[in-house]
Amino acid sequence: MSAWREWLVMAFSLAGACSVLIALLGVVRLPDALCRAHALGKGMTLGLVLLLAGLWLSLGWERAGLKVVAAIAFQFLTIPVASHLLARLVFENSYPRHGDGSIDVDRTDRSERAQPPSG
Amino acid sequence: MNEAILHLDFGLLVVATLLGVWRLAVGPTIVDRILAFDAVVLCAVGFTVLLSNYWGSEHFLELILITSSLGFFGTVALAAFLRRTEDRGQSGEGRVRW
Repeated sequence: MSAWREWLVMAFSLAGACSVLIALLGVVRLPDALCRAHALGKGMTLGLVLLLAGLWLSLGWERAGLKVVAAIAFQFLTIPVASHLLARLVFENSYPRHGDGSIDVDRTDRSERAQPPSG
Repeated sequence: MNEAILHLDFGLLVVATLLGVWRLAVGPTIVDRILAFDAVVLCAVGFTVLLSNYWGSEHFLELILITSSLGFFGTVALAAFLRRTEDRGQSGEGRVRW
């Protein structure tokens, strides 16, 4: 393995591990579940894709082949979908949010629609 | 040099996993716990990637695929069951809330 390739592998692995750590810091530090889903969806996707790219460069085309590409595509497909599912769960069920809890969208919350009329 | 960088990566991922476990234990709502579970499983995937980088082996690629798909399907199943429970709870008076 040539020297520049080793440096590239190290750079990708370090960037990926830092991105995973930043995503988990967001999961711990951000104030409500919507923000945490946002942090996990972006940071974890970037981190795992960078780690897998480092692995692909380290192993080479002959040994890694298309399996690492399949793993990268799988991360790109699944992590945002899981994050979106959880965010939709929060949005539809009026879980506690930070601030005044309002979201400017052109549809009402399902939990508000489901409430019986008062009086 | 290469070994030192890889050890640093392992350390960063250990810290990230511990943060995820903390959120899994503390998380005020069930969605936070599902989120933290997903995060911990993805950290395990990252550990597998780093280990196969460390050992220079390509035999763990299937393990990477299987672990990430298990985490994803677990999250989807928990979200689907929770959605059904919350829907049923909304029609009555007392809504289900963990």
